[in-house]
Amino acid sequence: MSEVSIPSKWTSEAGPEGLFGGKDALLFGRRQRRARGPRLPVIAVTGFLGSGKTTLIRALLDKPEGANTAVIVNEYGEVGIDNALLRSSSDVTVLLGNGCLCCNVRTDLQETLRGLFADRARGAIPSFERVVIETSGLADPGPILQTFATDRGLGREFHLQALISVVDTVNGVGNIARMPEAKKQVALADRIVVTKSDMADAPTTGHLIELLGLLNAAPVGIAVDGEIDPSFLLAEPPTPQRRFDLGGVEHTHGLCSFALIFEKPLCWAGFKQTMAVLTALRGPDLLRVKGLVAIEECRGPVVVHFVQHVAHPPVELEDWPDGDRRSRLIFVTRGLGREAVAQLFTDVAAIAARVPGPDAVGK
Amino acid sequence: MTETAIWNFRQLAHHELDGFGGIGEGMSIQIAKDGRRILWLAHESAPKNFTAVDVSDPRAPKIVARADLPQSHMRSNSLETVGDILAVAYQTTQQGLQPAGFELFDISVPENPRSITFFDCSGPNSRGVHQLWFADGEYIHMSSGAPDFTPTHPRDDQFYRIIDVKKPSKPAEVGRWWLPGTRQGDTEPPPARHPEGADTGFRPHNTNVYPERPDRAYLGYIDGGMVILDISDKSRPKMISRWDYHPPYHGFTHTVVPFFDRNLLIVSDECVRTEGADWPKLVWIVDGRTESNPVPIATCPLPPLDHYMRHGARYGAHNLYENLPKPNAWKSDRVVLATFFNGGLRAYDTSNPYQPAEIGYFVPAAPERAPSGAIQINDVFVDERQVVYTVDRHVGGLYTLEMDF
Repeated sequence: MSEVSIPSKWTSEAGPEGLFGGKDALLFGRRQRRARGPRLPVIAVTGFLGSGKTTLIRALLDKPEGANTAVIVNEYGEVGIDNALLRSSSDVTVLLGNGCLCCNVRTDLQETLRGLFADRARGAIPSFERVVIETSGLADPGPILQTFATDRGLGREFHLQALISVVDTVNGVGNIARMPEAKKQVALADRIVVTKSDMADAPTTGHLIELLGLLNAAPVGIAVDGEIDPSFLLAEPPTPQRRFDLGGVEHTHGLCSFALIFEKPLCWAGFKQTMAVLTALRGPDLLRVKGLVAIEECRGPVVVHFVQHVAHPPVELEDWPDGDRRSRLIFVTRGLGREAVAQLFTDVAAIAARVPGPDAVGK
Repeated sequence: MTETAIWNFRQLAHHELDGFGGIGEGMSIQIAKDGRRILWLAHESAPKNFTAVDVSDPRAPKIVARADLPQSHMRSNSLETVGDILAVAYQTTQQGLQPAGFELFDISVPENPRSITFFDCSGPNSRGVHQLWFADGEYIHMSSGAPDFTPTHPRDDQFYRIIDVKKPSKPAEVGRWWLPGTRQGDTEPPPARHPEGADTGFRPHNTNVYPERPDRAYLGYIDGGMVILDISDKSRPKMISRWDYHPPYHGFTHTVVPFFDRNLLIVSDECVRTEGADWPKLVWIVDGRTESNPVPIATCPLPPLDHYMRHGARYGAHNLYENLPKPNAWKSDRVVLATFFNGGLRAYDTSNPYQPAEIGYFVPAAPERAPSGAIQINDVFVDERQVVYTVDRHVGGLYTLEMDF
């Protein structure tokens, strides 16, 4: 008979925090001012071919706010960041006219990012302070989200600050209806940029924005010729919204988005076990879970982020972003509804007798 | 470097100090009676003594006072303030010269520093004071020579001295300690010299004492490594431990900063040779759980030598931010800020002390008139507002920054 192993509560005693944590030993390392901590922010731009990704990125690089950016592109598009801004070129990295870097990803994204970080550290390329990735039109954003959690080397150096989905007014509604990737790009995004509104009438644009709102409660911005407030692309994403409108299944074709709110702090062990059950049983359907959680053992709120079966390392913040101290979790799933997830939190809470269940719907 | 490299710092201002931008290792904040925040800076070398800069608005620093040295054969590389008292270290270029010692000033009117007293440390074998620590308003802990001290080797001319300045007009020595074997008459044999060219002396550099352990002094003892002293009886300091990692390392242990609550010691070397001749000069993370047996467990990661050594002058560790036990100084027992000459200012998170992680850097472009063609970031101070002040050793003057990590 095999020995039954009881999962132990996360403890800092085994690690350096146990030896050197002092009175203020922390579960998740130094408290950070923001979710990315000191890591280099990565902005990943998704969107179908012709949606205006390159135009958007080029317009950003033309602005002072876009300086010190390294750009990674999957392929040089027709609009061509290279033609307009190229100053000198090497095999992989090119220096753009505004001092930004541009890499053409001929190899793996992880390898490119690791190479960029190493070259920067040894002074082989100019010091940059953010990375913008232009994904190929058909890219599933899931693997990009996972890149920054699964790869130890990348997760320590880079932080996916924002996944931005570019949707053009002319083809957006059709793409979302026909192409699962387009729908997923919108559903998983932290921000959505609507382009080419000047090429469609107001009702068409309005219809698109309404559809986007059904798929995702993320902020929507409108760019004309790629022009949009740079902070919409570069700023830290807002904390997950408490109010969250859940689109009907008929519109979302099986994609579910919902929020859970917890009034009282959670104990880390209970939270961790609940998420462990979810990821173990329904990992592939757990497209993205992000949130800000009050943990009993922590003074500051903890940023959590799951993509399918992968958990990003939690980050404890120095303070709450606003007066609302309730835990909020945003789920984007495939066919996994709010009631089942809320029930699981409640059931684990009953067993742990410590984890309070969700008591408010985000609607 | 022709361009500034900056990551997770935000530059607020740069002041070249009107052509006298060579700053040493003394940086201290005074809150003047009228509320102004004055940063006192020690110059690295003659002709200037110290400069006072109003940094109330860190985006617009303004010079409010500057003093000249009385002699060109001296330097005042180190200073500290407590309240309205400023202490300045005077070291001469050669032994036997004067004035060598320290001077106390009344700076209640920052524009008009008034001398209170001069404490003479000159002597046939003394160059005076290289560095002083003055935090509690009562004692100065310093690296100094003395008229009655004859070293066994001329490079070991400075030692640890504790001076009672409770009466600022009448400073008096209350205790001293030197590495056994470095004073003539010691029964112990003199320490084995480091190779010629790399022999920088068995003498203290920084001499830090904190209120968390008023009975301890933490000494960077240059070629002698790190020394922890029991100073519960100030008249008879006793050595608790000495961690000496030279050879194979090249000597010049500079600063020891304890992270008391975490049982860690952060230890810096000073790079004193150009173009990588004494590489590597490091910031060490030392396990201090057993103070009688400190154990190094990591060093802070640095960009490779081959890149920076080409930029000219020195590249390697030097000063640490020392968690000064004063109300207007920032405290952190997780973040290390260290200066690396042409490697700039670098910040590390020591949450996992086995793997300190770089979390920011500021490597300013070389100042226009830099004699070496390189920036030489020399020292760093952080006030309680978390404004970071860092200085160039040669001409660049003062840079003010915000931490963004």
